[in-house]
Amino acid sequence: MDKDQDQEVQCAECVKQKHIQNLQQKQQRKNDQIPFEENNYTHNIRKGDERLLDRRAFMKTMVGAAGVFAVSTLPWGALAVKGLAGGGHQDDPPLRITDIADLPVGEAAKFAYPGKHDSALLIRLSENEYKAYQNACTHLKCPVFWSKEKDELVCPCHHGAFDARTGKPTAGPPQRPLPEVLLRQEGGAVYATGVKHYET
Amino acid sequence: MKRSWRGVILLCIVLFLNIICTQKAVNAYYFEHYRSVIMYALFNILLFPAAYLIYRRERDVR
Repeated sequence: MDKDQDQEVQCAECVKQKHIQNLQQKQQRKNDQIPFEENNYTHNIRKGDERLLDRRAFMKTMVGAAGVFAVSTLPWGALAVKGLAGGGHQDDPPLRITDIADLPVGEAAKFAYPGKHDSALLIRLSENEYKAYQNACTHLKCPVFWSKEKDELVCPCHHGAFDARTGKPTAGPPQRPLPEVLLRQEGGAVYATGVKHYET
Repeated sequence: MKRSWRGVILLCIVLFLNIICTQKAVNAYYFEHYRSVIMYALFNILLFPAAYLIYRRERDVR
């Protein structure tokens, strides 16, 4: 009885060992397989970089960009509130730009109005026709210059162009006209008297 | 692994609206339409939590 039991135990041991051997062999074969079996479908991604901009990272970037845009409009909102609270415009004091004799037809003179950092251009279009604009491009504030050859105001940064007679953009990225400076001729000189506000 | 592009498309739309609102706000400021500026700025700010909610909903989908 005892012998039988021993044999049975030994056999059971044999079966177990055989089973383990089988399993090991199977595992060996499985590990040797190419491609290596995985269940997350990412075994074929070899470069770390490929995972940097997956779908989720892209969505995170978009949310971040939305945040940046939200913050970037805050100063404009604050300025608008200030503008609403401030009410109407205050009149700027007149400024003598240049003598008429110093400005030949087709030439331009640079000045600053109303503040000393608000650079502007006075253009003598014909004998008695003067136009002045604040010459910060309405796209990204590059200084616009007067091109006599092209007969228009040109922004060198992104090839924007403005009509010298109306200040309206004619080419390139700018969308708004240049702010026009109001002029007055008096005693052989040209004076700036104010900045014309947009009419819409 | 189920893949859904809904969130990506919605976020693209949100970002597009962001760009439009920023542009409109800046232009309205120079045209001195201050009320419009405040409206666009508020809308832009509201778009941010909207974008975050869209992201959260997509992330938590199982």
